[in-house]
Amino acid sequence: MNWVGRSLRRFEDPTLLRGSGTFVGDLAGAAAVRFVRSPVANGLIRAVSGPAYTIADLDADGVGDIEAVLHRPDYVRLAQPLLARERVRYVGEPVAVVVGDTAPEAEDLAEQVDLDIEPLPAAVGLEAALAPEAPLVHPDRSESNVMVAGEMATPGLAEALEGAHAVVELEIVSGRQAALPLEARGSHAVTERFDGRTTLHASIQAPHMVRTVICDLLGMPEADLRVVAPDVGGAFGQKLPLAREDAVVVWLSRRLGRPVAWIEDRSENLMASWHSREQHYRLRAGFDSDAHLEALQADVVANVGAWPCYPITWGVEPLMALAELPGPYTPEHYGVRARGVASHTCPMAPYRGVSRPAITLALERLMDVAAARLGVDPVEIRRRNLQSDFPHISPTGLRHDEGTYREAMELAVDQVDLGAFRARQQAARAAGGPQPGIGICTFSERTGYGTPAFAARAMGVTPGYENVELSMDPSGYVTARIGASPHGQGLRTALSQIVADEVGTEPSRVRVVASDTDRTPYGWGSFASRAMVLAGGATYLAAQKLAAQLGVLAAEVLEAAAEDIVLAGGRATVAGTSVGVEIAELARIAHHHTQRLPEGAAPGLATQAGYDPAGTFSNACHVAEVDVDPDTGGVAVRRFVVVEDAGRLINPMIADGQIRGGVTQGIANALLEEIVYDDEGNILTTSLMDYLPPTVAEIPDIEILHLETLTDATVTGAKGLGEGGTIGAPAAILNAVNDALAHLGVELNEMPATPERVRAAVRAAAGPTPAGNAAARPSR
Amino acid sequence: MKPARFAYVAPDSIEGTLELLDRYGDEAKVLSGGQSLVPMMNFRLARPEVIVDIGRVGGLDGISLANGTLTVGARVIHARLEAPTATTTGGGSEPLGGVLGSLLPAVARFVGHLPIRVRGTFGGSIAHADPAAEWCILARTLDAEMVARRRGGERAIPAGEFFETVFTTALAPEELLVAVRLPVLGDDWRAGFCEFSRRAGDFAVVAAMTALRLDGATGAVAEARIGVGGVAGVPVRLPGAEATLVGEVPGAELRAEAAAVAAGEVDPVGDLHGSAAYRRDLVSAMVARALAQGAGTSGTSG
Repeated sequence: MNWVGRSLRRFEDPTLLRGSGTFVGDLAGAAAVRFVRSPVANGLIRAVSGPAYTIADLDADGVGDIEAVLHRPDYVRLAQPLLARERVRYVGEPVAVVVGDTAPEAEDLAEQVDLDIEPLPAAVGLEAALAPEAPLVHPDRSESNVMVAGEMATPGLAEALEGAHAVVELEIVSGRQAALPLEARGSHAVTERFDGRTTLHASIQAPHMVRTVICDLLGMPEADLRVVAPDVGGAFGQKLPLAREDAVVVWLSRRLGRPVAWIEDRSENLMASWHSREQHYRLRAGFDSDAHLEALQADVVANVGAWPCYPITWGVEPLMALAELPGPYTPEHYGVRARGVASHTCPMAPYRGVSRPAITLALERLMDVAAARLGVDPVEIRRRNLQSDFPHISPTGLRHDEGTYREAMELAVDQVDLGAFRARQQAARAAGGPQPGIGICTFSERTGYGTPAFAARAMGVTPGYENVELSMDPSGYVTARIGASPHGQGLRTALSQIVADEVGTEPSRVRVVASDTDRTPYGWGSFASRAMVLAGGATYLAAQKLAAQLGVLAAEVLEAAAEDIVLAGGRATVAGTSVGVEIAELARIAHHHTQRLPEGAAPGLATQAGYDPAGTFSNACHVAEVDVDPDTGGVAVRRFVVVEDAGRLINPMIADGQIRGGVTQGIANALLEEIVYDDEGNILTTSLMDYLPPTVAEIPDIEILHLETLTDATVTGAKGLGEGGTIGAPAAILNAVNDALAHLGVELNEMPATPERVRAAVRAAAGPTPAGNAAARPSR
Repeated sequence: MKPARFAYVAPDSIEGTLELLDRYGDEAKVLSGGQSLVPMMNFRLARPEVIVDIGRVGGLDGISLANGTLTVGARVIHARLEAPTATTTGGGSEPLGGVLGSLLPAVARFVGHLPIRVRGTFGGSIAHADPAAEWCILARTLDAEMVARRRGGERAIPAGEFFETVFTTALAPEELLVAVRLPVLGDDWRAGFCEFSRRAGDFAVVAAMTALRLDGATGAVAEARIGVGGVAGVPVRLPGAEATLVGEVPGAELRAEAAAVAAGEVDPVGDLHGSAAYRRDLVSAMVARALAQGAGTSGTSG
């Protein structure tokens, strides 16, 4: 019986669903840390007074600055202090820190700290930050706010555009958003008197990486810091980069010799954790007379905020757009300029999908606009342009392994019954009232990449591989110690299914130990849809080694040849016979009767394996049906269909959960969620009254179908899918909104498509508005 | 996100409450369901020295019907108005019928989410005076009277005077809102309520309530009440749009005309959730839909 491929219920859930999880905030006995944050977007610090620690205290202790490095000529390298030094650069930047006995007392203390800051003009939105006389975010390091830039073009691009049958131009705007984990960030540090070691519990995605950078900053050996990620209530990329606050918490615990904890509140999280997605795309695309996309030219600018994030830097959004923009399509000619622009706003970090929600929005709006322009159906234009020869090498050199781009779309379109929908749409157009629309989105999701892909980014550190240590104890239970750091993905369950199949045991006899640097091999954590491929691959390889050890031992005990031993159902048997032995008994022998081991065999049952693949591409098609109210601009999502191909599904239920969560975030990104600043750099969305995640009422049932293309790019045949839901949904929704209002001449290429923007687009399509009656747009 | 230090008292009678309010004056804040006050304290936007929790005070949670007036106790939770029952002069308790009996549940379902509706109170919402709050719009549209009691006295404040500006009412610091009196609308009234919010349960961006009294003989509008929220510091009545309707027999065209007049009559201030122009558009749409709903032609709502 195979465990892989079964929707085994998650081992993680009973604890979490009963409210018995252990989050950082559940750890007791610590003094409360509170950060005093800048109330102005740009300013010079004249004085800080009150019961607080400042950068002067960190400097006096020799604490270093963070350096997030890209080895590229067009990258501005900075040293970022843990608390603001001399200057503040965004509202919410930590300037000082106080310690109180309780959280309310710490908040009282923070109010007593007086920040004397001379305010300066701020550069907030992309346009303002790129203006010739823009206030500079790092005037000592750069003469403009462009902090990272990349450019490439295939030969012949200009000629191809010039000679194209039709050139379609499009401008796409993606608003600023926040990952908004249910649990905000937090950390808790205790330094033991007896050995001087510090234990940091933090709500993070990459414990080993955090240990390294904090030890580098504080000048301490890594052996003296244990980093644990307990239960983590959502992360979505926001908890991948180093939090300055976590490093300060470790420093405080060592300096004060008392346990301290920082529990970020929702306002801090919205104001000062990390944002993402604020991007503008300008596309020029050349199509031939058969609606084939022949040439694609793009100018991408990303607002990257005031500081880079460690270790991926603020190159991650613009440079991903540069590398991956052609997506599932096959333009022969491609040219792009991508820039990361600093501003006096909260720094940016990857958020589920990183640049791909915006990339996909740009490409999929392009396909629909081109289809209308060329008189081709939206399905047909994709049919003609999607990848179908594999491997496909993109213009930027990315190798797409086999996928089902066209097949996924055809299946999705069948599922929604497009013909019946169009009939309903015609009827609604005649009747007035809410207008139905349908939107298609096809996309690829680059996943499961290791060192080779990261090395190409030329970061100061090169993440990539994963290691797994696997052992069987004398009771016959297996323990897997992994470098990945699951935080809600159900990885413990899925990995146990892989181990169970290889070792011939049951998932319930497998324990997965993760997220504790004292108990796991060095690894890079969970992000970038990588854990199933990377940690899953390493687990699979280690389990095969463990199975081989068991096979040799069984052969000795059963007096058979090792290659004839079959491990299944908790027994090792000689193939084709009933002769066998319990695996648990083999485990006893391996530990307690080592005199029975074959000559030269080591005592015990333990092994390890690493895995570091080049990467793979999942693909999917999303179809959204919406109702748009032209009078209010309100959009209701009526139906959402996903056809996903993520290779072999280890646990289909978990895969579906990832897709549902991702699509939910994608719908919210498309319609609801937006971080808004005013022109002075004051953030206006610091509570959940103003930043609007969806409620269950805004999200329809999400119908999911699977295709399984077993890839040879990974040892398990699995591809990652953690981000796909969020990548595809915004474009499907925006295409549906545009489809609903197409008969009114509406074109809307901005997310989130808030009711006000939809209504303004309806008005704009209807004709010129009376003076002074144009809808205001929040600044960005 | 932790409140500043405060003292907490929980009296068990109206008299005891009034004594405390008299003693502490504007240092005190009355806590009812806490659905707005507690978040504001956590944000430290509200910093009362003394919290007077009226949760244990009896005599504030009745709904009674007498002499053409429905009196709703200040501590009646929102959820009870989803299926309101009222004690009558005979002493029994009956489901509330008539136009108000339909209107109150239709409005109540827009108030927050279920957890808010089972904690938050009618009087708390009125006293908090959020200009987009459903009950404030209802009170203003129907010309409700707020019953305010202080030591040794009681007064009734008409809605037009009660709401002064955002989160500010005519209640004196030593006064407690004990009840709200609503006129029972006769069977010749047609009422509608429509709101647009970003998500289910959110405060309205714009909400509109309409109530028309029709002449039984001619079917023409004898009296019109149109109230909207989300366009000013207080819920407002729209006399111009009301006048458009009076004396006319309402139909689709007249409703559209009144809606257009309504949009021209408001002067909203834009914010994060809607610019002035957008809010004006919504006033037109919400007034038109509330009127249509009252006429029974289309129940579309936000």
